[in-house]
Parts: sequence; C-alpha cells; structure tokens
Amino acid sequence: MSDLEAYRAKAAAWLESMVPTFGKEARKGLSVEEDLAVARQYQRAKFDAGYAGINWPVDYGGQGLGHLEKVTFDSEEMKHGFPSFYFGISLGMPIPVLMQFGSDKDFVKTRVLKALKGEEIWCQLFSEPSGGSDLAGLRTKAEADGNGWKINGQKVWTSWAQYSDYGVIVVRTDPNVPKHKGLTYFWVDMKAPGVTVRPIKLVGGDSHVNEVFFDDVKITDDHRMSPVGGGFAVAIATLMIERYVATDSGGFGPHLDLFVDLAKNTELNGKPAIEDGRIRQQIARNYAMRSGLQSITARAMALMQAGMTPGPEGSLNKLVAVRSRQKLSELAIDLQGSGGFAYDDHASQKEDWTASWINAPTGRIAGGSDETLLNTIAEKILGLPQDHRPDKGVAFNQIPA
Amino acid sequence: MSILYDEGQQAIATESRRVLEARMNKDELLPLLETTGKFHDGFWTTAKEQGWTALALPEAYGGLDLGLVELGLIAHQAGRSLSGAPFLTGSFGAAKAIELYGSDEQKAKYLPGLASGETIGAIAFAAGSNALPVLPSVTLTDNCLDGTSTGVAGGLAADIAVVYANGPGMPVLVVADLANVTRSAIDSFDNSRLYADLTFAGTPADTLVIGGTAREAALHILALQAVITAHEQTGGAEAMMEIARDYAVTRRAFGQVIGAFQSIKHRIAELYGFVELARANCIHAASREGQADFVTAAAAARISATEAYDTASRDCVQIHGGIGVTWELGLHLHTRRARSLAIEQGNLLFWEDILVDRLTGEAA
Repeated sequence: MSDLEAYRAKAAAWLESMVPTFGKEARKGLSVEEDLAVARQYQRAKFDAGYAGINWPVDYGGQGLGHLEKVTFDSEEMKHGFPSFYFGISLGMPIPVLMQFGSDKDFVKTRVLKALKGEEIWCQLFSEPSGGSDLAGLRTKAEADGNGWKINGQKVWTSWAQYSDYGVIVVRTDPNVPKHKGLTYFWVDMKAPGVTVRPIKLVGGDSHVNEVFFDDVKITDDHRMSPVGGGFAVAIATLMIERYVATDSGGFGPHLDLFVDLAKNTELNGKPAIEDGRIRQQIARNYAMRSGLQSITARAMALMQAGMTPGPEGSLNKLVAVRSRQKLSELAIDLQGSGGFAYDDHASQKEDWTASWINAPTGRIAGGSDETLLNTIAEKILGLPQDHRPDKGVAFNQIPA
Repeated sequence: MSILYDEGQQAIATESRRVLEARMNKDELLPLLETTGKFHDGFWTTAKEQGWTALALPEAYGGLDLGLVELGLIAHQAGRSLSGAPFLTGSFGAAKAIELYGSDEQKAKYLPGLASGETIGAIAFAAGSNALPVLPSVTLTDNCLDGTSTGVAGGLAADIAVVYANGPGMPVLVVADLANVTRSAIDSFDNSRLYADLTFAGTPADTLVIGGTAREAALHILALQAVITAHEQTGGAEAMMEIARDYAVTRRAFGQVIGAFQSIKHRIAELYGFVELARANCIHAASREGQADFVTAAAAARISATEAYDTASRDCVQIHGGIGVTWELGLHLHTRRARSLAIEQGNLLFWEDILVDRLTGEAA
C-alpha cells in the first residue's frame, strides 16, 4: 500500500466514525442555524483529528502535508454529505489569501486558527450587480479617510455572508485609471457599523447567498492586503488558489446508479423503462461523459503524485458535468410522468432528481458561467482571440455604464 | 497498467507522429476515394517498417510484447493523419483472437505472419446492422464455413479472417483462410478502408472457441479492436479541432478574425471538451485490458470517441464555410472517416446497449 493509499484508508475510517454524529441522517430536520452549530462541531472534530488545513503550514495550525492528501481526504469526505460546505469558501479562498497577503502575522495566525476550528467564518466579497463575470467592472468604492478608508457600495452573491465574521473585499480606489488598475484588496469586519447583509432566496428555496451593503464603513489602512491599485492581482491569486479540487463527475447531482434504478423501477409502454432505447442512450452517454471526467481527474492526481503539473483539461469538469446533470434531471422527472410533480425543498440535490434539476441552473452560473468557462478554454488553452473589449485602456469613469 | 505515459510511450507517440506527418498527405489520399479496393501502400509499408504490426503481439511469435496503450498511441497518430490501411482495420483484432484463444499450433501458424505484416487479418463478426448477431449469418458445418459476412473492414486485402459463426447448435469463433473466398467490394464513401462482403462456400476453418463462451470471446475481441478504433477516432477529432482553430485565427470577416466571434470560438471550445473526454476514456480503456471492467471501459471509449469525431468533423467543415465542402481542401476525408469508423467494430447503438447491459448487470 502506498503512503497515499494508507492515508486514504485512515481518513475513510475516521470519516466513517463521524457519520452517526454528523452524517445526513443525524442532521435531518435541523434548521440552518442548528445545522451550522453542528457543522462547527464537525469542523472542530476535523481540526482535532488533524484533517483541517491538511496542506497548510504547521505554523498556522495546518498539517504541512501535500495537495494530494488534501484532495484525497476531500474525495472521501464528499461521499458522506457532512456539513463542510459552510466553511468551503472561508477555508478555500479568503483564509489562504490572508495567510499569503495579510501583513499583521499575529492577527493572521489568530484568525486562521479560529477559522480552522470552525469558530469563525470568512466570506469573499467580489461579485457586484454590475460586475460578476467582469470582475474588474466593480463599482463599490473605498475613499481615503484620515488614516484609513471609507467603503460605500454593494456586493452580491456573497456565500454565507450572513454567518461570516470577516470578509475579503475588492473595491475601487481610483476611478480615473483603466478598470484593472484602480482596484485595492482589503479585509473587513462583517460586524462593523454600516455593513448590512440581506440573504437572497434562491430558486431551490435556500438562502446561502446574500447582498451586502456598505454604507460609510470605516476601516484602517492595516486592513489593506494589496498595494493601492494592486488589488486585481490579489483577486486573481484568490481565484487561482486551488486549481484541482476533489470533483464530482455528476456535476454535484445524483449518481448515475440512481438513474439506472429509477429506469429499472419505472414502466414505460408496459415495460421497464430501462429497456427503452431513448433511456438506454442517455444512460450510456452520461456514463461515457462521467467516466471521461473521472479519468481526467485520476490522471491529474497521478501527475501531481509524480511531481508533474496536470494539463488544462481539468477545467472541463464543471462545464461538462453540470449541463448534463441538468438534462438528466429533466429526463428523470419526465420518466415519472404525472408522478413527477412532487417537490421536497429539503431533499438533497445529490439524491433527488427534482432538487437536482431546480438547483442545476445555479451550478451553471456560480463559479464561472458556462459562457465564461468556454471563453477561458478558447482563449487560454486554444489560443483563440479575446472577446471585443471596448473598455480596454479606458479610464473606468469614462466607460459607458 | 499506469494511466501516465512513460518516456518510452511518449517516444512512440512523438516518433509515430513525426513519421506519419512526413509521409502522409491528402493529395495521396484523395485519389484513393475514387478507386475501390486500394489502400494506402505508403502507410502500410511504414507500419511494417516501424514494427507497428508487431507491437502488441507476443515476443515468442515475432512480436514486441507491448500492449494496447502503445498501439493506441500509434492509432491516435494514424487517426490524425487519416492513415487507413489494414493494420488498423482488423489485423490487430484477428491476431489477438488467435493469441488469446488459439492453440500453440494455431499461434505458430498465424501470428508470425500477422506480426511482420506479411499476413493481413480481418474480423468478420457482423451480419447487416448487427455487429455481433445472436444468429450469425455464417454457418460452420464439418469445419467448413458457408454464408456471407457483411461489411468486413479490410476485407478486400485480408489473407485470413476471424469469423463469428453458427456452429453445430452453438456459436463458434473460427479463423479462416480467405484465399478462395468470394469478396464483393463495397463501393464506399471511405474507400481506403477496403470494405467487402465475404462469401464463404465450403471454406475450411480452424476453430478457436466453441460453445457458450464464443460470444463472450467475440465481444472481447471486438472491444480490443474498438479501443484501437476509438484512439483513431480521437486522433481524427483532435486534428479537426486543430484545423478549425487554425482557420479561425487566420480567416477574417467583418474586420476581425472569425475566432473572435463567440459563435465560432465557443464551438471550438466545445470540441476541446469532446476530444479530451474521448482521450481520457481511451487511455483509461487501454489501461484496463485484462481487467473485469475492460468491456465497459471500451464501450465508454467508443461512445465518446464517436461523438467527438463526428462532432469535430461536422463543426470544422461548418466553421470553414464554403471552402470546407470542396473536394480540394480535403476536410471531407475526415468527415468520411468519422462516419466509417463510427460503424466499424460496432456502431454507437451497439456499444450503448453493451454499456447499459454491463451497468445493469445483464449479460451481453
């Protein structure tokens, strides 16, 4: 057994032992607040067992292991539906960025430890009503104010902001220069006066994302994590932190086995639907797509283990998987005919076709829309030209709104 | 078998690409379309010279003892350059059938010739639309074959064929000498694959497998050959994607290169997805040879490679506009090959059914 396989086995055993306390069944029927409280306990248990900050420096409370161990643990953890998602953004991007760019090391260390233990949560304040895909198009501004800055504006789609203690934020500090050059990166206290968080209810019925309003929010200059005007580079660094993550070839929807079971147990024209060619074709093509993605991921892991860099094909995962999940979920509802109307808004989108279907559009937009991902593949991998950008080289305040 | 190519394997890929790019060009391929019964001599000679025919066969019979992964790398390059010819149409499958199921005597008789390329093999399983029929159209009586195998790839050039036939109350897998068989050439849209109907009339045949396991054996051979075909398809798809990309960054319309329009650039980005999924499935399938899930992996490779090549050739022509449909430019060589490979070694429908059978635990 290789070291990594031994690590996987040990992690799997530990995770298994957590199921009775933190698994899906144990948490059934809890409100979000109650669930979050349980999630904090789970995060603390991970910390105590050495599974928090797996690939982070020991100095900051991490385990000092490699990225492979991290992905290995994550892929095992994914199987159980533990409540780790509350900390996904926090530990995924803001905290690693804080470790890299935070200037007050004592402050950083305190925050990192509390985040690792699930005591504090960080959010990432990037998207705005006028700047989603166009990250550099944001309008929230920070103006020099005495020894510090004063922030005004609005962010949106901020995951878990309502439960966050701190956030990292990109704002415009100079509207007189081209858009990428006038941005600065800060951290903010989400409980500071002038910060208002308003949850947004999504189509699936949940409200994990928020609008966040900043009205004369005052911060001192030690909150700054980039040079003035140098915020875009740090924002990009944030987005690039984890290129390979434990992925899900089902697009975070149900496993294909569940569709096969449905097709076996549903009648179509007096016969099991699994005998219907249209159904068989969809199963076969979905399987081929998913197995392709799994092979891409397996190769990437093997390359990393061999000390090499994986190819760019890992970028296909979300694009390909979520679209197909959406269609397969539609077909699963179709298959149930007049039995397909029921909807349980507490059902898991990994196990319930209707929950999967209604949440799939969110998946096709969040974390880079299909169109953005296609542009990235076309431009970065295939060398096709950038889109027409009339705002290039133009001072931000001269761009027609 | 590792899913990472080692240095030796990478060298095979690089060298075969270099050789094929130097020797193959469309001006030699176009005339083949207008001739029935001729394959590309240059490619066949190259395949023999380079030892590709021997690559995946046992050393004891003149082979190089490498495997599906290495042969797949060459098939991928051959697919890129449209290098048809018998070595990829069935010789490999025929040789594997004899290697896996033949007696020592049969192996000694056939394998050295197949390894050197002196003997050309084919696999003749299909009956009409059925890649592996429940009732084969060829019958074995007293060790002699009668009946017609349809659409045999490489059938016009093959010296021997491995045939799936109806034996005495049970299926059989046999190998037959084609010297005295009636070959009826199929005037095809992709003539260099040498498709033929083979009619047997009292043709002597050597039995490889008899009885209930013959069908499973035939499916296994089909899967091995299909993985090679899938690599060829992926290579072709990759070439079409690159040709489309290269055109899109040079051809100008409305004052800019057409690759700047999302209708074009997203289409090419989508092709990247098809090609990479097919490539990943091909590598995976090749690495699963000999494992319990090999047929499942082969089916997935065939499905994604067929989708990739058809889509890429379709879109590449579309992106070129009018010039794309000219005889001269030769994109149609890929369009034709994409379709012929799609129905060689079992069509999409066949592999979809095989895959679902495997997933639901039903026997094929």
